[in-house]
Amino acid sequence: MAEGNLIKPDLEFVKRIRNSPGGESLKKCYQCATCSVVCNVTPEDKPFPRKEMLHAQWGLKEKLFANPDIWLCNQCSDCTAYCPRGAKPGEVLGAVRKLSIEHYAFPSIMGKMVGDPKYLWFLLAVPVVIFLVVLGYMGHLGIPDGEIIYAEKFVPVPAIDAIFISAALFAALGFFAGVTRYWKDLKSGVEISTNKWQKKVKGPLPIIIINTIVAFMTHKRFRKCEVTRDRADAHLFVFLGFAGLAITTTWAIVYLYGMHLESPYPWNDPMKILGSISALSLLYGIVQIITNRKKNAETAGAGGYFDWLFIMTILTIVVTGILSYALRLADIAVLAYPVYFIHLVIVFFLFAYAPFSKMAHMVYRTTALVFAKYSGREDKKYN
Amino acid sequence: MEKKIGVYICSGCEIGSGLDIEKLSGIATKEYKVPVCKTHPALCGEEGVGIIKNDIEAEGINTIVITACSHRVKYDVFDFGPDKIIERVNLREQVVWSHDWTKQVEVKTKDEEGNEVVNVETKPDDDIQMLAEDYIRMGIVRAKKGELPEPFIESITKNILVIGGGITGLTSAIEAAKTGYDVTIVEREQELGGYAAKLRSQIPTSAPYDQLEPMVVQSRIQEVTDNSRITVKTNTEIARISGSPGMFDVSFKPSGTKSVWDVPPKKKEEEGEEKPAEEAKTEEEPVELPADQIKCEDILASDPDAERFGAVVVAAGWRPADPTEFEHLGYGKFTNVVTNVQMEEIAARGKITRPSDGRQAKSVAFIQSPGVDGDDSDFPYCSSVTSMISLKQAKYVREDDPDAKAFILYKHMRTPGHYENFYRNIQDDEGIFLTRGEVTVIEEDSAKNLTIEVNDTILGEKITINVDMVVLATGMVPATKFEPVINLAYRQGPEFKDLELFDGYSDSNYICFPYETRRTGIYAAGCVRQTMTIGESIEDATGAALKAIQCLESANRGMAVHPRSGDISYPEFFFQRCTQCKRCTEECPFGALDDDEKGTPKPNPTRCRRCGTCMGACPERIISFKNYHIDMIGSMVKAVEVPDEDEEKYRIIAFVCENDAYPALDMAGLHHLKYSADIRFINVRCLGSVNTIWIADAMSQGFDGVLLIGCKYGDDYQCHFVKGSELCNRRMENVAETLGKLRLEPERVQQVQFSIDEYKNIPAVINKFMETMESVGFNPMKGF
Repeated sequence: MAEGNLIKPDLEFVKRIRNSPGGESLKKCYQCATCSVVCNVTPEDKPFPRKEMLHAQWGLKEKLFANPDIWLCNQCSDCTAYCPRGAKPGEVLGAVRKLSIEHYAFPSIMGKMVGDPKYLWFLLAVPVVIFLVVLGYMGHLGIPDGEIIYAEKFVPVPAIDAIFISAALFAALGFFAGVTRYWKDLKSGVEISTNKWQKKVKGPLPIIIINTIVAFMTHKRFRKCEVTRDRADAHLFVFLGFAGLAITTTWAIVYLYGMHLESPYPWNDPMKILGSISALSLLYGIVQIITNRKKNAETAGAGGYFDWLFIMTILTIVVTGILSYALRLADIAVLAYPVYFIHLVIVFFLFAYAPFSKMAHMVYRTTALVFAKYSGREDKKYN
Repeated sequence: MEKKIGVYICSGCEIGSGLDIEKLSGIATKEYKVPVCKTHPALCGEEGVGIIKNDIEAEGINTIVITACSHRVKYDVFDFGPDKIIERVNLREQVVWSHDWTKQVEVKTKDEEGNEVVNVETKPDDDIQMLAEDYIRMGIVRAKKGELPEPFIESITKNILVIGGGITGLTSAIEAAKTGYDVTIVEREQELGGYAAKLRSQIPTSAPYDQLEPMVVQSRIQEVTDNSRITVKTNTEIARISGSPGMFDVSFKPSGTKSVWDVPPKKKEEEGEEKPAEEAKTEEEPVELPADQIKCEDILASDPDAERFGAVVVAAGWRPADPTEFEHLGYGKFTNVVTNVQMEEIAARGKITRPSDGRQAKSVAFIQSPGVDGDDSDFPYCSSVTSMISLKQAKYVREDDPDAKAFILYKHMRTPGHYENFYRNIQDDEGIFLTRGEVTVIEEDSAKNLTIEVNDTILGEKITINVDMVVLATGMVPATKFEPVINLAYRQGPEFKDLELFDGYSDSNYICFPYETRRTGIYAAGCVRQTMTIGESIEDATGAALKAIQCLESANRGMAVHPRSGDISYPEFFFQRCTQCKRCTEECPFGALDDDEKGTPKPNPTRCRRCGTCMGACPERIISFKNYHIDMIGSMVKAVEVPDEDEEKYRIIAFVCENDAYPALDMAGLHHLKYSADIRFINVRCLGSVNTIWIADAMSQGFDGVLLIGCKYGDDYQCHFVKGSELCNRRMENVAETLGKLRLEPERVQQVQFSIDEYKNIPAVINKFMETMESVGFNPMKGF
């Protein structure tokens, strides 16, 4: 009796990759392994992206998803630049990651909608309606008179809190469901190293998670990229911007509920200064990302809807955020309130849809990196 | 022709600096009493050529000895018309450029005080002068002994016979007809088109070479049918082809029948060593022929109903190979395991359906290599074409159903040249899955579905796949593997020679001379020569048609076709002295001679390639060419002045093949590579033409050794006349034996295999031979 591993190629899955932006070139790969040789971040043993290209060509979905490797790739595009057949492994892996996010999306309909431009207006309409309902209920549908105070005269803080806490919970639930399933698949797909010494050195899972995040702060992996070397800095600015804004938000909660200080706060308040610097970092970072994308479009691919939706969401958030502040100081009410409205809508968009948009890479990549350390996958690597 | 010889010595290109020109002209004028001998510093210049032309006009010089550079250069400059005999003496490449013409000599003098002083002085090397003088002697002798050849011309017919009505045959016929020749196509089947007409689509034939194409053969069939120059005989086979180029008499017969004009089996006593097993079997059968056998006419009998043709293009194509031997693949056992030929038949009929139940196939595996026990080889007779057929048929599966899957399991995927685009395009189909792998076993379940186990895949593991159908990429075997096809009424047998050497492909000197076979006037094209795609077959057919035309247009002028294209000399036989030993009939590499019942050879000059192998073979020395014969070369050997024993100088004669070895000598000279001045070269048409009498002459003349430099022989022969150097080697073994009987060392006669790109080894080869000579010493027969 035949004893080999029964292979059932999933033709639909191959078609889905090919129909995703970046995945069109998939079938051009002829397995020369140049990609795995030029890759600076792959482990030596069973290196990517060659095997991922093969699994994708053969439609072996489980092999692709139940493996941390697609997330160990930073899409430096070194492989794409050196590929002799124009198969663009970096972009194909990007498309596979998108499908992976979609695959683990909970509820799964959200995965499909966020990834498909057809549903963009619907997804935007959700926060717009929510905020309009709140404003209507408060009777704040017009442009308020006098000094611009967003909280008092427009959307009150409790409403903001209620809406965003709900959105965050929705996202957290989505992430939790997705990551749990992903972790389970990862564990089933790879033999976990049972080396006790290794476990001792690395410590328990929480320590590995902390180590992974600390390692990530330095962007050390990211800096191994050659073709798109400048992406690491841009990404770092965006990341630090987000981190700063997260701290600012926590700080604001302390001001409001702990010290009962009402907004707006003066510009030279330390919390305000941190917020402003973070916003500028975010702005600088995202503009750099856009510039790099344009510059590297030829070697690294222009990116698809999924990528640009995420970039544009961040850009809109940071621009409307800064504008809201500036317009308030300039006292142009007729512009300030609508811009602030857009800002709220897009922030909701980013938060609520995070597990289904490219934002999810933050969580899945971290999970994969943790798993790679945990399973011993990352031990054999180039330095 | 009353000869009046003129010797012209050029002193350019260092000849004048290295040699004493005056002494050289003395050889001509005093020793040989040549009426005219002139020297010029640049004979090939306008002035030099003018002197010769003037002498032709004024003095009536008609035999010209040019003593300058190799005959392989400036032959156009020294062409004084077909009615002049031109001999070239090569003093440049083989004398002054390949030897140091001075030597350092120690001269002892006494100074004023009576002490002996040794001074080193540079003096001309006498050995080099002697070498040049010998070459002049040999050149004059050659000129004296040679005669102007007259072409052998018979009235010939210029129509062409094409065997096979497939894409190759059709194309050959169309191309030849377009050029203005009448063509007859003979096709065994009922319809024209061959395998090219039994396809759904064909592998691309035009840029960008990436899409399947509709068949082109139909339009060619139409073109053939419409062309008034082309006659088509379907359902017809060839009983025999007798005669020779320009005069082939072809007997046709209905397919599958027997005829008295079939070629009779080769007579046992005449069989050479290369007797095919099948024929041997026929021989063992009883004299009484079975009822279905017919007593065939002798090869020399003439069929009154035969049609005459000038040249033949063999485009008999291929037959599918049988994969039954690979039991683990289940062919013949499992209904849904088919060959690529059967797959093509299914595809041509309609959708890809399973033979077992007629259900449309949802998944098909194409297997490129049987892969037994780690054996890397593909199916026998596989090639890039069978690789591409699998790619093509995988596309059929996908064309018929967008959800169907095609797997291609290969050890090698060959898509040379532009066909890489075809591979890319097929690979780009998401439903075509390619992997390297070794198929270890195929199993069938009760529903006749197949499970294939594949080892060593690029997926990095042993895999199994379930499919509806399996297609084996079996090879395309040349028709000549199974039968002679050409059925020649030649004494050497009906088929091409040495087929087993080429796995049954009709033999040709593949790289240098495609289309050429070992039967002059018969040219192979298409899959009978090499597995080809339709596009390649079309190109090949055109080439073969041109060769056939070249043959017709040479035979009518009495010229050799190949490789001595344009040579009008031909072997003549002095039959009164023939002993009917049949050696010439047996040894001619091209079967040019058919002997009669007594064994007297019957020459067919248009079959002849003028190599002179018959001349070399003949023990009675009755075969000669006007400008190349036993006496001529023998006299050249005798013209060399062999030093006496007390002079302590060796003399070697070397017979050098004109095709590779002589050009290599010229190249060595061009690169100023130096070798011994004790050796004298004589260029011969082929080592096959070297008659042992020359060796005997040389040995009795006092030469210390004889060196034969010719082409490589054996399975990977490079001999331009296929067998010449091999036959020479066989003769030299006999010579060695004879030398031993005479108490002479067999090492004195040696044959060296040499190819043109090895010219740098010329000094090494000569030095090695000289060392042998030094070890065996001088010829004891010197001076007798």
